[in-house]
Amino acid sequence: MQTPKGTKDYLPPEAERHCYVEQRLREVFKLWGYQEIRSPAIELVEVLSTGVGSELIDSMFKFQDFDGKIVALRAEMTAPAARIVTTKMLEAPRPIRLFYICNVFRYSQSYLEREREFWQAGVELIGCNTPGADGEVLALLASSLKKLGLEEVRIDVGHAGLLKDLLRATGLDKEKKVVLQNLLGYRDEDQLERFMDQNNFSSQLREAFLRLSRCRRLEELSSVSLEPLKYRRINDYLRDLLEVKDSLVEYGVENLVFFDFSLVRKIEYYTGIVFEASVPNLGLPLGGGGRYDNLIEKFGKAKIPATGFAVEIEKCLRALIAQGFQPLEKRRVKVLVASRSRNSAIKAVEAIRDAGVTAMLDVTKGGMKKVLEYAKRSGINYVVFVDSSLEKPATIHDTRLDTVTNMRIKAFLQSLEDDQR
Amino acid sequence: MNRKIRIALPSKGRLNQPSIQVLQEAGINILRKERTYISETSDPRFEAIFARAFDVPIYVQHGAADLGITGHDVILERKADVHELLDLGFGKCQLIVAVPENSAVRSVDDIPTVARVATEYPNLCQEYFESVGKQVEVLVVRGTAELAPKLGLAQIIADITETGETLRRNKLKVVATILNSTCRLACNRIAYRIFESEINELLGKLRNGGASTK
Repeated sequence: MQTPKGTKDYLPPEAERHCYVEQRLREVFKLWGYQEIRSPAIELVEVLSTGVGSELIDSMFKFQDFDGKIVALRAEMTAPAARIVTTKMLEAPRPIRLFYICNVFRYSQSYLEREREFWQAGVELIGCNTPGADGEVLALLASSLKKLGLEEVRIDVGHAGLLKDLLRATGLDKEKKVVLQNLLGYRDEDQLERFMDQNNFSSQLREAFLRLSRCRRLEELSSVSLEPLKYRRINDYLRDLLEVKDSLVEYGVENLVFFDFSLVRKIEYYTGIVFEASVPNLGLPLGGGGRYDNLIEKFGKAKIPATGFAVEIEKCLRALIAQGFQPLEKRRVKVLVASRSRNSAIKAVEAIRDAGVTAMLDVTKGGMKKVLEYAKRSGINYVVFVDSSLEKPATIHDTRLDTVTNMRIKAFLQSLEDDQR
Repeated sequence: MNRKIRIALPSKGRLNQPSIQVLQEAGINILRKERTYISETSDPRFEAIFARAFDVPIYVQHGAADLGITGHDVILERKADVHELLDLGFGKCQLIVAVPENSAVRSVDDIPTVARVATEYPNLCQEYFESVGKQVEVLVVRGTAELAPKLGLAQIIADITETGETLRRNKLKVVATILNSTCRLACNRIAYRIFESEINELLGKLRNGGASTK
């Protein structure tokens, strides 16, 4: 009996690490005032398909509900969040700060692309279109990843609207736009210049493409400007990006943030800044996000701008482990209590648990040898045999050192506490 | 950055030697120790790993290697989301459709409605036959597709050819070309941002070493 392709079980050590990442992220999101939402894993396909683009729609697990409607497993959480806001939170004062931690499902045809079920933690800041809102989301992303303990985090920022408008301004056909986008991705200036010469770019556009493709930091964008009347919106985007940079400076995270003109996300609904977070020892982004000002209105009538991000729990965990993250289960001391007197055994485990130490009761009625053997094999650090009264010294076996000491539970707990320091 | 940039190279086959050589010309000599998969290089910033040419795109996409040298055909077949930074020029080959010399099939149009194709490139093969409006059953084989027609496994093969010699020896004729390929320098998308200056320096040396720009 196996799990379906691309899915997996999380056994105790892994589930605990997974949970650790979730908990840390949840704490940070809450501290920043974001409120948790949960939604069904199954939704109507038209809800999940709204605005996300064909690539994601193709990757959804779809099936027919008993009443004939086509439903699908959620492939991401922004569309469900947009549905929730439109149908159930229209009266809520804006901006609305929401977060989620949940599993999403994507079917992938390529060889060993990825898990088909994976976990995302994300936030949405809804009802506000200021650069300050984008700054907050970026700073929260940086802060969340740092709080997890990740080092050398970097966030690359692009702008979906800026790239789209500039590509449109070139007047190139669809195929050539793809070529140009690739050239921008490769950051190959010679090729880019040659391409622009061959395709008769105006000197103004030529200059803008070259400069933008050279920018590595948001502040360098101040060197780029276009004719204000003809390219008003592009200039607005540039100004917004600079303002985002200003708020990142205030948060003190501007050194983690880079500019990448060519950055695009696979999901289509982005309209403004887009970004990806990564660390040097994981070759895939930990997550990303951006601004989507036209998505929510597709769910109803209200035009509500929004911005947000999601990170993948598994990738954060892989990055942490690659950076030498100490698995948690080894840090926690575990104690097994056995006694002929059930009364004192239960009192003892309770006392140990009250002190914040993991304690289990021997429920097997096995002999001392068997109990010790079990403890060793299950990673339990101490086996405590208690007498009929807790006031009398208990026999404490240290399973790693194979030593036996006699002391009272209180003294034992004190010694554990001393060890922890 | 406190780690080395990792380049994946084909561990054997026709791309192995030229890959090592092109790096050498760019000033990176591989200090290969036998039976180790990670090798140091003469440039302390780089280390090399050896992998199957077919797996190089996967290594690079997932960041197990920052850079990789492998065929354009393999990158496409693996649908790897990587940057192809440079056409290294060598490893020229074609992915072709071939049938036995005595077959009545002279072009792709003649292929019957229910044909079976043996290939190592199921994705490219499927895409190609769909694009020319043919439905075929694709059989994935490893290595010796040219045997398939002889053994009656498939009437058609889609395989890589350099000179056409193997095809002639197996009495096969080419009826279509799916793709022209050469060896490429592929790069992980994130690594390209993080190690931009080092990678660009390498690119410059590789270009001067004679590789044509893409």
